Amino acid sequence: MSDESKGGAPKKLSTKDILAAARAQAAGGAAARSTPEPEPAETAAPAPATEKPAAKPAAGKNPTSTADILAAARAQSAGGAAPAPAAESAATPAAKPKPAAKPAGGAPKSTADILAAARAAAAGKRAAPAPAAADAGEKPAKKERPAAAPAAAETSDGPKLSVQEMLAAVRPGGAATAAPGATAELASAHAPAPAKPAKPVAPPMPAKPQPVAAKPPVPAPAPDAGRRNVVLAMIAAPFALIGGLFSSAFASAWTMLAATTGIATLATARFMLPNVLTEPPLKFKIGPPADYDLGTVATKLVAQYGVWIVHTDQYKGKNVIYALASVCTHLGCTPSWLEGERKFKCPCHGSGFYITGINFEGPAPRPLERVGITLGPDGMLEVDKSLKFQEEMGQWSDGASFYEVVG
Amino acid sequence: MNPHPDLTPDVIRGIGWLYLLLFAMNIFWTVRSYKRQESVGRLAAWAMYTVMLGVVGVAHVTVQSGSEQFLIRMPVWFKTLIDAGAKPQYYFALSIALFAAVVWLREQLVKPTVSWLILNGMVLFMTLSMTDYDFRQIVGKPDNVPIVSMLFIVAFFTWLYFKRAVDNDQRIAAGKPLFEQEDNEKVLVWPDLVYTEMICMVILTAILVAWGIVLQAPLEEPASASRTPNPSKAPWYFLGLQEMLVYYDPWMAGVVLPSMILVGLMALPYIDFNKKGNGYYTFNERKFSVLTFMFGFLPLWIGLIILGTFLRGPNWNFFGIYELWDVHKLVVLNNVNLSEYFWTWMGQPLPVAEAGSSKFLQIVMILKREWLGLVLVAGYLGALPMVMAGTIFRKFFMRMGFIRYMVFANLVLFMACLPIKMVLRWAFNLKYIVAIPEWFFNI
Repeated sequence: MSDESKGGAPKKLSTKDILAAARAQAAGGAAARSTPEPEPAETAAPAPATEKPAAKPAAGKNPTSTADILAAARAQSAGGAAPAPAAESAATPAAKPKPAAKPAGGAPKSTADILAAARAAAAGKRAAPAPAAADAGEKPAKKERPAAAPAAAETSDGPKLSVQEMLAAVRPGGAATAAPGATAELASAHAPAPAKPAKPVAPPMPAKPQPVAAKPPVPAPAPDAGRRNVVLAMIAAPFALIGGLFSSAFASAWTMLAATTGIATLATARFMLPNVLTEPPLKFKIGPPADYDLGTVATKLVAQYGVWIVHTDQYKGKNVIYALASVCTHLGCTPSWLEGERKFKCPCHGSGFYITGINFEGPAPRPLERVGITLGPDGMLEVDKSLKFQEEMGQWSDGASFYEVVG
Repeated sequence: MNPHPDLTPDVIRGIGWLYLLLFAMNIFWTVRSYKRQESVGRLAAWAMYTVMLGVVGVAHVTVQSGSEQFLIRMPVWFKTLIDAGAKPQYYFALSIALFAAVVWLREQLVKPTVSWLILNGMVLFMTLSMTDYDFRQIVGKPDNVPIVSMLFIVAFFTWLYFKRAVDNDQRIAAGKPLFEQEDNEKVLVWPDLVYTEMICMVILTAILVAWGIVLQAPLEEPASASRTPNPSKAPWYFLGLQEMLVYYDPWMAGVVLPSMILVGLMALPYIDFNKKGNGYYTFNERKFSVLTFMFGFLPLWIGLIILGTFLRGPNWNFFGIYELWDVHKLVVLNNVNLSEYFWTWMGQPLPVAEAGSSKFLQIVMILKREWLGLVLVAGYLGALPMVMAGTIFRKFFMRMGFIRYMVFANLVLFMACLPIKMVLRWAFNLKYIVAIPEWFFNI
């Protein structure tokens, strides 16, 4: 629907313009609503359902005259007795931003004048649907509700005037320079905005938006008063800072966001240092060497500590006790010790390991890993899982990786 | 010992419902045969088959006790035969053969009677196999229901493709307009498509709700880092990946190959230079593309999912579909790396750096140990594309240009590396072509 984006080049009313106008007509009696308009300067003129906006003289070479004529015709047909060019005499509704003020500029001047007059007249009879220069092309045709009547200037098929420009034209001292390029930009920004529900009266001209930036902190008193002022300034500074942080909605939002993020970060850091560790300790005693018979694999510690204690003489002929981590070197499943087959067998992909921990079948690329084991002074074997010994790296010859049984 | 534990009247009644399903299907088929005024002999055959199914079904469903005499069991010799051939290599060879047969005999397969017979055969096989306890344990698991239905769905869509493609190929050969042009199926999105989608949505929701109520979620015991269920199976759609992991290092089968699959699928439109087959089914005009894709999808993906679901048991051993999942099944296996083969064949010990030698020397020794595998892999990925460009893919190379051809050739080679490694494993017990566990680099 937004043919405005094509810029202000003169062109004919398209079929969809006419259709949209006809639709607006058909949707009789429905409440008008404000023009879908993101810009705050918009003053919406509700569309009268009975208006006949469709058959417009099109493609006027002189935008001023077209706009004039159209606006006049509309004002007449809708407002009834409202005379078209009576811009100066029109009652100024409260909602309107001084429409009677003299605009500057050449061509747009008269249009704006006339439109403002028309609006003023319409706004005077707010109870009835006010006349408006309803540009059919501006209306969203597919809307279920009657489309709001957009600004009159857009009726003109010459360089279109957006509502902003019209308003700027009628504003006191407003520099109404209706450059076609700017018009096109504004109009294109204007077009796709969603429709808003109807308002009983045209919204007031919003105040100029305040600058978003936080207000500067309260300035400290001039330092000529000396010490007393310094103290005052020190007292005032925190308040000024807080005031600055919450000086506007945006500032407050950013402040809150920063505070929340900071607290969450701290909480995460705290999470890494728990008060209580439920994991088993990495160093633990497993009893005297005599508990582990030659040629056996003790599986009792797997559930809690994740190690097998193996006592065998099959690795390089030495009679040793060592602890194997119960993690498959292929993808980390826990193999099971099959006593009958005398091997560790992984249930995930079928890797197999001898009692020595050497891989021999399946996809496991390297032997099971040993963890540290030592004989403590109390005659108990102690496993240290913080140490790791890999056979392929030649680390199994390390004395801390096994306990050699003598005798 | 009871050879059929759990073959309770309930189970028999369930099997009876399967027979009745077949019965209903074949009533339809008999009526169709009658309406098409087929020969009396055919019609009579279908009618008799249908009546037989009905009688068997009713007999199964109405049993109260002493059900054994009604039971039509899967013959024991058949089960023994199947279980005796339960080896991954046979399974894989069979799936490749089946794939080749489907492609080869596609014009016969899509004939209505033939496809109907195949469907009947599939359901009958299922029904008869259900009399076996071990089969029922695997197929009846709530986990595996989607895979059983997937079997039928994949078969159906493959059949549908070939039916349309064969039809179009015949039209092209006869110079007639394509099916898609002649019988244009274009419809409006609203209401035709949206209505269809809504109906599908309603039906699927109903099925899912019923499914969720009837079959309980197969939850297991709480997870434990120190206890892995035996067998431990991935979700069914990842079982192909899990099977790949049997033959490759996790680095390869879990990262490189899946990435290649994804990237390769994304690259297909840029590799394909065949403009034919756009918007219509055809096989003859796109033989290479269709065959390559189907090979990757049917035997290598769906086939491996079926293998992982039904044929892998405890300790990831291979079990026949009628075989008891014995945790202590012993499969003699000793996998050897290529470097070990090579240096043993050379009559030398594996080159190992002396303890305490410098880092550089260690690297040199590792490379020396694995040089054959490294050269083979480099040749496979580096030189083989060039050889193929000069020989079998000559036309492709001319059409594609260097870069596109290299991407294409590498994708093909990566797809081929899975079956190659499988065959090497089965034939030579080869574990890794390049085995450098020191660097976690194994191929």
